[in-house]
Amino acid sequence: MARLKKSFANVVAACVVALHLVLLPALYYGLGYVVRKSHENLFIEHARIFARVLADEFELGVALESESRTEDLLDLAIVHGDGRYAELTDGARSVRSKLGSPNIKAPRRTDLTFAQGGDEIYFVVLPIIHAGRNAELRLGFDEQPTLERIHLALNRMLVVLAVYFGVAMVIAVILSHRLSRPIHRLQDVSRSIASGDYAQALQITTGIRELHELAADLENMRRELVGVNDRLQAKIKEKEISEIQREELQKQLRHRQRLETVGTLAGGIAHEFNNVLVPIILFTEMALQDLPASSVSRSDLERVLAAAQRAKDVVKKILTFSRELGDVSLALIDLRTVIADSLNLFSALAPPSIEIRTEIGDAIAPVRADATLAVHLVINLCTNAYQAMQGTQGVLTIGLRNHGIPPAAGETARVEFWVSDTGHGMDPRTAERIFEPFFTTRSVGVGTGLGLSVVHGIVESFGANIVVETEPGKGSTFRIFFPAVLREDRSVESTAPVV
Amino acid sequence: MQSVLVVDDELDVRDAIERVLTRAGYSVRTAGDAADALAELRRCHADVVITDIIMPKINGVEGIECIRKEFPAVRIIAISGGGNFGITAYKPDAITTSAYLAAAERAGAHLVLTKPFESTDLIKSVEQVLGVGHA
Repeated sequence: MARLKKSFANVVAACVVALHLVLLPALYYGLGYVVRKSHENLFIEHARIFARVLADEFELGVALESESRTEDLLDLAIVHGDGRYAELTDGARSVRSKLGSPNIKAPRRTDLTFAQGGDEIYFVVLPIIHAGRNAELRLGFDEQPTLERIHLALNRMLVVLAVYFGVAMVIAVILSHRLSRPIHRLQDVSRSIASGDYAQALQITTGIRELHELAADLENMRRELVGVNDRLQAKIKEKEISEIQREELQKQLRHRQRLETVGTLAGGIAHEFNNVLVPIILFTEMALQDLPASSVSRSDLERVLAAAQRAKDVVKKILTFSRELGDVSLALIDLRTVIADSLNLFSALAPPSIEIRTEIGDAIAPVRADATLAVHLVINLCTNAYQAMQGTQGVLTIGLRNHGIPPAAGETARVEFWVSDTGHGMDPRTAERIFEPFFTTRSVGVGTGLGLSVVHGIVESFGANIVVETEPGKGSTFRIFFPAVLREDRSVESTAPVV
Repeated sequence: MQSVLVVDDELDVRDAIERVLTRAGYSVRTAGDAADALAELRRCHADVVITDIIMPKINGVEGIECIRKEFPAVRIIAISGGGNFGITAYKPDAITTSAYLAAAERAGAHLVLTKPFESTDLIKSVEQVLGVGHA
C-alpha cells in the first residue's frame, strides 16, 4: 500500500482514470444529446417539408379531381417519403394509401416532438383548400430509421470514446514511466550516497527542466558531500597520525624523563661516593706509607686501594650516564676512523665465533663529537652485541651511512651509525629500560649494567639520539643519528685526530 | 713552613687532606664551611686554601670570591665531586661537577681538582699553585 502511494506512475494512472471517469460520461451524454437532437430536428424538418410539398401539390394540382390520382399521390408519400401512413380526408370521405400500415390510427394534429406517443411514427396534419373545398392531409413518417441512425451514432461515439480512453491510459502510463524513470534514478543514486557510496555521479538525461535542475542541485550537493567527506577523512587521518605521534612523543618524553631522573639520582649518589672515596684513598695510601715493606697488611691495603679505584671507575661511568662529562671536547670527527680504531681494539676482545661485518657508506659527512668518547661508545655497543650472542655463532654488523645529504625539503642532514647483532633480542619492556644504570638482563658477573647507560650519556653529550630495534630471538639493532656537519657549517673547525 | 687551609663540610675529607699535607710538610688548618674559613684567614694567614664547592651556608664559589677579594695573595684550589644536598636537588638541570669547577675557576680559583684524587695529585696541585704565580 505504501508502495502504491509512493509510485509516481500509479498516481499518474489513477489521476488519469479518475479524470476520465468524471469527464467521459459527461462528454458522452452531452454529445449524445446533440447528435440525437440534430437527427430528430433533421427528420422533423424533412417530414414537414415533404408534407408541405405534398399539400401544395394537392392544393394546386389536379390530384384531388379523381380518387385514383389522390391515392397515387398518397402512395408517393409512403414510397418516397419513408411514410407509414397517408390519408386525405374532408370529413365526409377519406382516401388512404393502401401501402401504409392498415391498423394505424392518425391523430388529429401534428406531433409536437419526435417519438411522441411511443408509436415510432411522426404525424403531420396539414389543412388543404382546393377549389373551395376544405380537406386535411394526414401523413405518418416512420421514425425507426432515424432512431436507428441515432443509436448507431451513439454506439460509434461510445467506441471512439472507449478507444480514446484506452489510448489516453496508454499515453498516461508511458508518460508517467518516462517521468518517473529519472526520479527513480535520482532515488537510486540518493540511496547509494546515503549508504556511503559517494563516488556515483548524478548524471540524469531528461528533457524536464525541473528534474534536470533537481539532478544538477543534487549532483552539486553530492560533490560538496564528497569534498566534505574527503576533508573529514583527511582530518581524521591527520588526527590519527598526530595522535600516534603524540603518544610516541609522550612515550619518548616519559622515557627521557625517567632516564634523566634516574641519571640525576645516580649522578648525585656518585658525587656522594666521590666524597667517601677521598678519605678511603688518602688514608689507605698513608697507611701503606707507614707500613714496612714486609707487613702482611700491605697487600690488604693495596686491595682496598684497587677496590677504591674500581669504585672510582664505576662512579665515572655513572657520571658519564648522567652527562657529567666535564672533559668532553667536541670537535669534527670522521666516524669511519672511529670505527676502524674501535674495531682494532674490539677484535682482540671478541670471540672467534662472532663474525664481524661492516657496511660503511661512501663520503660520510663529519660529525661533532669527542673522539675518545666515540671510541668508547662503539666498543660499548660492540661489547653489548657480542654478549647478546655469547655461546652462539653470531654476526655483528657495524654500519655507517648519510641521511639527507644533500638535504632535501623537510629532511635533516644526519649520519647514521648502527650496530646490529643476531643475538637473543629483547622484549619491549626490557628494551624500554636498557639505558637505565645497573639495569641488566645478564647473570651476575657478566657486565655491570652500566655499558648502555654510558652509551646513552655519550650519545646525549654529542647532541645525537639513539633508537633500538629489537625482537626476542631475532637480535637487536642500535641506531645512533648524529647531526651531520655540512661543508658550509664547518667554517673554522677542523677534523680532530682520533686519540 | 707554608700554610694550607682546608675547607670542606665532610670531616673525613678534611682530616684526610690535612693528614696528607701535614706529612708533606705543610702547616694545615681546617674549616667546616666558608664562613669559618674567612674567620680563620682573618685570624691567621694561609698560603693556600683548598676548598670544597658544595657546602652549607656559603657555597665554595661565593667563598672563593670573598677570599679573593679580601686576601688576593692566597692561592686557591677548588675541589669537588659534584654536589647535591639532598633528594630535592636531584633534578634534571642539577649543576654538574664540571660546571661547579668552572664556576670556581671564574670566581678566582687557581686550580680545580676532581674528587676522588690520590695523595700525589693533591700534593702536586698544592705545589703547582705555590710554584706558579697567579695574578
